[in-house]
Amino acid sequence: MRKLLKAALAALFLTAAVQAATPLQAAGNPDVIRLGDVGFGFGTPFGVGVLAIADAKGFIAEEFKGSDVKLEWTYFTGTGPAINEALSNRQLDFASYGAVPNIIGKANGLPTILLASYGGTTIFGAARPDLDIKSIADLKGRKIAIQKATIIHWGVIDALKRAGLSERDVTIVDLKNADQLAALAAKSVDAAFGADFLLPLADKGLATIFYRSSTAGKTGDGFGAFLVTESFRDKYPEATEKVVRGLVRAAAWLGDEANREEAFTIWNRAGTPVETIRKSNDGGSLKDKYNLLLDDFFRSRYESAIAFNKEQKLTRRDVDLSAWIDPTVLDKALKSAGLETFWRKRDAQGNDLP
Amino acid sequence: MPLDSKALDTKDRAGILHPPPLPWNGREAERGDGGRRLFRPAGAGRLPDRLLPFALPGALLASWQAVTAAGFMPEQVLPPPSLVLRTFIAFLGDGEIANNLLVSLRRIACGLGIGVVTGFAFGLLLGVSRRAEAYLGPLFRAFAAVPALGWIPVLILILGIDEALKIVILSKACFVPMVIATLDAYRNIPARLREAADVMRLSPRTRLLKLTLPAMMPMLFGGLRLSAGQAFVSLIVVEMLAATEGIGYMMVWGRTLFQIDIVMVGMAIVGVTGFLLDALLRRIERGIGARMGERTGSHG
Repeated sequence: MRKLLKAALAALFLTAAVQAATPLQAAGNPDVIRLGDVGFGFGTPFGVGVLAIADAKGFIAEEFKGSDVKLEWTYFTGTGPAINEALSNRQLDFASYGAVPNIIGKANGLPTILLASYGGTTIFGAARPDLDIKSIADLKGRKIAIQKATIIHWGVIDALKRAGLSERDVTIVDLKNADQLAALAAKSVDAAFGADFLLPLADKGLATIFYRSSTAGKTGDGFGAFLVTESFRDKYPEATEKVVRGLVRAAAWLGDEANREEAFTIWNRAGTPVETIRKSNDGGSLKDKYNLLLDDFFRSRYESAIAFNKEQKLTRRDVDLSAWIDPTVLDKALKSAGLETFWRKRDAQGNDLP
Repeated sequence: MPLDSKALDTKDRAGILHPPPLPWNGREAERGDGGRRLFRPAGAGRLPDRLLPFALPGALLASWQAVTAAGFMPEQVLPPPSLVLRTFIAFLGDGEIANNLLVSLRRIACGLGIGVVTGFAFGLLLGVSRRAEAYLGPLFRAFAAVPALGWIPVLILILGIDEALKIVILSKACFVPMVIATLDAYRNIPARLREAADVMRLSPRTRLLKLTLPAMMPMLFGGLRLSAGQAFVSLIVVEMLAATEGIGYMMVWGRTLFQIDIVMVGMAIVGVTGFLLDALLRRIERGIGARMGERTGSHG
């Protein structure tokens, strides 16, 4: 018994000593870097964006080759709220998720810094096949299911506005993804909006897809950002830059049309059939979709989400976007990766700048 | 610090471990003399019994305030009690609480009503008829074993996401404990009472009203209170999963908005409402017990 106690004490001292020693070498690299993303699928969820590519193809791991840094990846099926909670519990250093929840986190005092855009998300609208719903305008007087306080929520309200409708013209029901499918099937709601998890429903004949944001002009798609906690960036500036460099290299790989099919098979790990992913990205350039620049377009998108959050009373406090964005890390990463000219900067409306 | 001196003072007088009266416990603060008077008459240094239930919540509240004031936890994880109170007042003002509570209470009333009445009838059937017990008993026990949560995915497909779903789930949750309580209550009617009734050749009506029901009453109320508790548990579960209004939804929404104070307001409302409902049922039980002559004893 006494031996055991001694051993335990020794172990305790050792860990304390190690912990005390780490900050000395920490100036360079942390022991572990924890990254979080939105995930889908059963069993072990997986991501469907650039970060998932960076994970699967080892772009960020390559940046730390030869060091002892360990990368920890977590994909949250609970989406935004779960990621906000993980960040506030200090369980994550980096995270990639939709603008609406990350603005909610920031407005509630999460010390985060925006490092890069995560690109775009296509938002789909699915309707009961027995109803005559062919466009957003047909939703007047209908009951629609969305998960509120997500970028999908923003996308739907925005689409309604563009079609000349307002929130009052429809009844919005707040439902999670799985419940949306059940509610559509049970005819409790007339339409649902979500990511490509809705597409298999159409394949089974249970719904018709009447809206996709990628065809609704440049400002239709959902958006979000890749961010870091303030303390991590301040403590490990080099590691932060390496992570971002890995991310932009992943996006550049994704932007190469030759890798299109391979990317689809990687995203397939999240449970969506490759055929569905192919369909959902039909005709769109992945290079344009996964443009990570913090340009005027990104800023105008975020300003619109900040205004949306306030209008919908999702946030109580204001968020200062220019203080929240730190473009210097991305600039350095692009330069050192030789990708400065890979993406074109866009104006506020999403048109390429000369 | 007035708080410190008061704490020492009461400790001196009381000379024991009971916590001093807490300034933010409104009931005590109102007395003006800082609650000291409450300690004086006891003499022996005992808190008056009526205050005992408040001691633990008060201590919890104090440590909560202390932890948040010291900044051990980020405000997003554990908001200070003052913020929760502010949110509570704001929500009270704009009707958010009243509306959601009304929706939730309506669901409870429907679920409890249906579940308790059918549960009582079914339990009585199982008690009276051995044959019914043989046929239906095992099925009932299997049915009871699947918790409300397990029924939701199937029921959503059948009933959709509207009120019917919630009422069915709540009724089921109330039905089960009520059946078990009724059955046990019936079985536990003392054999001598039954024999006496047989000997006296009471009419079925008199027998039911004067013997069966009074003898069952304490256990029936036990079942009723258990049902009410179950109804609350299931209500919050079902509102958190598939609802757009109600106290449970308000709590989920608070989580979504990363405003834990809203979640805590919801928790407080559920706790207080559940407590009040239980107190109400106990009072009714006592009233009925008194009317029936307290013959069956064991009221608590």
